Amino acid sequence: MRKIYGKITAWILAAGLAVGLLSGCQKREVNKIQESTASIGVNGQGPISGHEPENSGALGRYGETQMELPEEIKEQSLCQFIRGTGGDLELFTMNRDSSGTVTKVFHYRYQNGAWEKEENWQGEQILKDRSLDLSLVTYGMDKGCYIGGTDQEYQFHLFKLKEDGTATELLEEVFKPKDGSSYGLIPPKVEVLENGNLLIYGYWDLSLYDPSGVLLYTFAKDFSGSTSEARGFCEGEELVTVQEDQLVRYNLKNGKVLEAIAWEEIKGSRETVILFGDGNGGIYAANETGLSHINKGGTLWEILMDGSLNHMGMRSLFLQQFLQGDQGDFYGAFTSEGGSGIQIFHYAYDQDLSSVPPSGLTVYSLTDNSTVRQAASQFQSEHPDIRVEVRTATEKDGTVTEEMIQGLNTELLSGKGADVLILDGLPVDSYIEKGILMDLSSLVGELETSEEMLNNLLEGFRQEDGAIYQVPARIEIPVLLGEDKAIAAYSSLGTMAGYKGERPLVPIEIYENLLRMTARLQYEELFINGKGLADRDTLIRYLETVRVIGEASNSKNSFTEEEGKTYWVSNHVQPSGIRDSAIQYDAGHCDSGIASFGCFMDLCIPVEVRSHSDKTRMVSVGKLYLPLTLTGINRSTANEDMAKEFVRCLLSFEVQKEELYDGFPVNKKALETITEREKESWSVGSSAGDGSYEIHADWPDLETRREVASMIEALTIPAVVDETMMNMIVEGSRDYYDNKENVEAAADKILRKLSIYLAE
Amino acid sequence: MALFFVCLFVWLPLLVMISGALMPADELYWRYLSPLGLGKDKVRLAFLPTYPSLEALWELLFCSPGFFVMFWNSCIQVLPMLAGQCLVGAPAAWAFAKFSFPGKRTLFGAYVLLMVLPFQVTQVSNYLVLDRIGLMNTHLALIIPGIWSTLPVFIMTKSFETIPRQLLEAAYLDGAGDVYTFLHIGMPLGYPAVVTALMLSFVEGWNSLEQPITYLKDKTLWPLSLYLPDIAKDKASVAFAAALVTCLLPALVYLNCQEELEQGVATSGLKQ
Amino acid sequence: MWKLQRIKFFGSCLFIWRSKGGKKKLLPWLFLTPSLVGVIVFTGIPFLDVIKRSFQDAMGTRFMGLRNYQAVLENSAFRLATGNTVRFLAVCMPLLLLLSLGMALLISSSAEQNRLRDQGMGIFRTTLVLPMTIPAASMVLVWKIILCPEGTLNQLLAGVTGTVWETDWAFSQWAFPVLIITYLWKHAGYDMILWLAGLWGISGELYEAAKIDGAGAWARMWYITLPGLTGTFGLVGVLSIVNSFRVYREAYLLAGSYPEPSIYLIPHLFAHWFLSLDVQKMTAAAVMMVGAAVLPMAVALVIRRRSDGQ
Repeated sequence: MRKIYGKITAWILAAGLAVGLLSGCQKREVNKIQESTASIGVNGQGPISGHEPENSGALGRYGETQMELPEEIKEQSLCQFIRGTGGDLELFTMNRDSSGTVTKVFHYRYQNGAWEKEENWQGEQILKDRSLDLSLVTYGMDKGCYIGGTDQEYQFHLFKLKEDGTATELLEEVFKPKDGSSYGLIPPKVEVLENGNLLIYGYWDLSLYDPSGVLLYTFAKDFSGSTSEARGFCEGEELVTVQEDQLVRYNLKNGKVLEAIAWEEIKGSRETVILFGDGNGGIYAANETGLSHINKGGTLWEILMDGSLNHMGMRSLFLQQFLQGDQGDFYGAFTSEGGSGIQIFHYAYDQDLSSVPPSGLTVYSLTDNSTVRQAASQFQSEHPDIRVEVRTATEKDGTVTEEMIQGLNTELLSGKGADVLILDGLPVDSYIEKGILMDLSSLVGELETSEEMLNNLLEGFRQEDGAIYQVPARIEIPVLLGEDKAIAAYSSLGTMAGYKGERPLVPIEIYENLLRMTARLQYEELFINGKGLADRDTLIRYLETVRVIGEASNSKNSFTEEEGKTYWVSNHVQPSGIRDSAIQYDAGHCDSGIASFGCFMDLCIPVEVRSHSDKTRMVSVGKLYLPLTLTGINRSTANEDMAKEFVRCLLSFEVQKEELYDGFPVNKKALETITEREKESWSVGSSAGDGSYEIHADWPDLETRREVASMIEALTIPAVVDETMMNMIVEGSRDYYDNKENVEAAADKILRKLSIYLAE
Repeated sequence: MALFFVCLFVWLPLLVMISGALMPADELYWRYLSPLGLGKDKVRLAFLPTYPSLEALWELLFCSPGFFVMFWNSCIQVLPMLAGQCLVGAPAAWAFAKFSFPGKRTLFGAYVLLMVLPFQVTQVSNYLVLDRIGLMNTHLALIIPGIWSTLPVFIMTKSFETIPRQLLEAAYLDGAGDVYTFLHIGMPLGYPAVVTALMLSFVEGWNSLEQPITYLKDKTLWPLSLYLPDIAKDKASVAFAAALVTCLLPALVYLNCQEELEQGVATSGLKQ
Repeated sequence: MWKLQRIKFFGSCLFIWRSKGGKKKLLPWLFLTPSLVGVIVFTGIPFLDVIKRSFQDAMGTRFMGLRNYQAVLENSAFRLATGNTVRFLAVCMPLLLLLSLGMALLISSSAEQNRLRDQGMGIFRTTLVLPMTIPAASMVLVWKIILCPEGTLNQLLAGVTGTVWETDWAFSQWAFPVLIITYLWKHAGYDMILWLAGLWGISGELYEAAKIDGAGAWARMWYITLPGLTGTFGLVGVLSIVNSFRVYREAYLLAGSYPEPSIYLIPHLFAHWFLSLDVQKMTAAAVMMVGAAVLPMAVALVIRRRSDGQ
């Protein structure tokens, strides 16, 4: 009898599990059917011409055309891109002076296929009278026009414009600084409901007020990472926003949550999104992944536009506003980083466009790479008939496993595999040895004679036989900061170990980072072409040197959380071992600082630190640089010309000039351009938790930027350290640094593993 | 008593895992900072969570839409494979066990040998075959080669061999055909072995890593096994929860089948 | 033409079928063909390709003769890995077989003694199978909790001995026993079930008869139980060898891809060769491995044939 009970329990459990899992998915299935049969109405004005699934050979895709903008507003800041009460597109831009104050507001209306300037916009006068800077414009569902502006104290004021040219200020109390903070709320978005109630988008929540300023409801939402991003919309009596990493639909009448919608698959890496309604309760979401739509109550996102096929996926552009037109078309307004440099694109469904471009090029990368994505978008817009597919092995935070590389190797050995390979993290030496990579020397030669490239950076990858199998698309430059004596200490392992100063040479660190850093800094002394260690004695000297500099600064293998807070140190491993230590140097913890510059923003603090003392110098580490986004072409590609064209595109001025914070360009003209680019509004600060130290730094001046640019032009030696070997050294030396064994034992342990590695 | 200690050896690590799955993330990090590679602190082992919570399980089952898709992919890939193994493997095992024909031993030897080869060795060659047939980047790329795995044939053969010859001869004397004998005597008596073989195949298919990562470019086709390595690092609590869910299914299958499994063997023995 | 051939083929099949004893000849193939065809396509052809590759260079463009084999045999990493693997199998297999058999005997004897507890035993047995099913990635976290320098094992030892223990078990000379224990933990339960199935297959009457004849517990064990388990022995043995190649996943996740030299096994080497695209070495080594396994099998076959013939 009991046996039967046991069995029954087991079945019940099984059934429970099955039901639980099915319920999660059944919704999906049902929804799929709904979506395929129902067409989506656009504001009740008829269906969008069918959104066919993306099949090769199938026709129909959203085409993209750039809208010509009036010359005078192209480089201005975008304020608002909206549809006015009459349905026309309206564009509000602002001209700012160098201090960020708005000097002029421009108002354009799109009529009869052209942008027409609306002079003497009523709102501008109202703001001017009160000496406010425009910050938002919105048309309420009550047909009223509302504008917002900030005063000198960065306090926000909201007005409703009246027919007679005057305005009434609303919710004055709401925007005043509260709870002792020095700044009030500057809402990124305000929506006005039909009854005149106002929905104010805050940073952490949304609040619904009646026109007199009485708070009706507060709705929780996630902070979007930026105070200028709204993420949400309301339609009818419902509000959609992002809460706990899901899209949430609230009822505005009672503040209840109606549904929560997962959006993992369309979230993208930036996590910004423009949400808007389709008039029937469905939601549109526009971001770098493209435009997606979901029906009310549905769980399946339908992807209407693939961001990688148009400008939406371009890393240098930031989607600011996305609007729906009357004919099932859409408009997207983009700016460059920082909100200026406006570009507007029109998206219309084109029956004749093949839903996927006929020919394709595949780019493989282990991890997500901004410059490659940028190049893919650029390439795509130059060649609309070629589909560039960027395949990454991991999602944004995933770890790369051996199985992934083995999977790639299988493809490569079968003569398949991606056309272009981003080699960061891949076993490049084996690829070269086995003939996987194409010799790019003719391509590089052609680029070098064009005088467009920083030839010194490309030449570092020429093999002894003259072939070039890989080129970097980005680089980082390690720099030292300190007085002459300290800088001189970095010239060899011996001088590093022999350094005698008031303070330690380097700040407190985990030994792994010190090992990795020293491996780069003493690259030439330690390694033979980055692969083999010079010899046993060198290894011992290397381990001992790291110990000497580490012991001077009380470094350890790892720190507890408590120690981390006290000593400004973390257990985080930097791949290059270089953590910016200009601040530690400045605070007097050590005699030298070291940093790795990947963009001019990285310069801010080190340069400020240098200016604190006449004796402090900032120099590059010999002629070393850290190559990034190493690119090669699969020799067995069927699209050789296209692949080469892609590499050219990747290295072209157009792509390289964009600052994506993943390294300096290798294109000479691009380097010049970004060197000359002013960003006066930039400033960074850092301070110790206990207030003992504080630093503020502005954007480095032109002279400094040119100085670094000229450093880059002199670099010739790429420091590429074999990661497998580095891991062996780190693992093998752990006991030595924990004082559990002597240096000889550690070295022998490392060499034993290394000999296995090299024997394979 | 000795048995109890052996079982303790098996149970304690299991308990650590289960309690890990039922811990809120904070507690998990507090207890296991070092082993998770997040810092340095002494391990505070617990067989029962101090603050039991279904947080991790909840997050896994209801807040990770990817999990469901991958769960179903796993089902789609593994279940047809098991059915196929039954259909194709059982008759072959019957042939190996109950018939004698020229080359039988050599052939069976080859089956066993092919089973022992590590996957990496034939990975490239397998890829070429599947690519030629045009199965690449479909669920079939995992199902079809799985059906012709030789491991289940081996296990089933071993079990069919133990069915007493007299029993079959009696059936033949009664006028039963070969196919009838196989279906009505072989299969019922060999049932436990079939279940054993399928259990093993299930576990193997459910936890396979190399095959899906190599054969499936489209990440929407990826099975559950590829979900785990990707999360293990930063979401340790979910990793424990996922392990719990993953082994729940085989455990349920086993719980349901074990009586047949044991009874089946017992009957076959009694009739000797 | 094709049609004619087909008729001929089926005709001849029919002929064999109808001929005296022909049915017997063809029947096994009827059962075997569905499996055989698939195995040839999905395992046989790839294996032939592997053999072909072992005579070529990495990209399959040049014929290398026996040079790959020579390179592999001269490779010190290969020798180390082979030695370690043989050692691992030599230590692990007997341990695993004995442990799981012991557990099975214990369970079956206690089940006999106390029928009432039988139901509890079911749950009991199920939990012992569970380790097989847990993904390596999750299990490794548990092992790390126990084995890391700050881990439970060191704390226990410190408690017992009163001194400080900070051994990193997976990275020290203890790595080999650690690997064996994790392997035993994972597979002992499952093998126990297989043994149990074998035990239940032995007729109870035999035992009764032996008891009446006055045979003691050891005698019964030696003359009835063990001979009755020979079939299971082959099954468990082969499965354990198959599984031993899968121990790599744990070893790799626990101790990294270049672990202590003592647990550097053939799967490690194969993985590294594959990562650096040295498939020619990998295939050559695999062919030799298969060869090493075929040889004893073939010898056994020949001996058996001879004895059959006599």
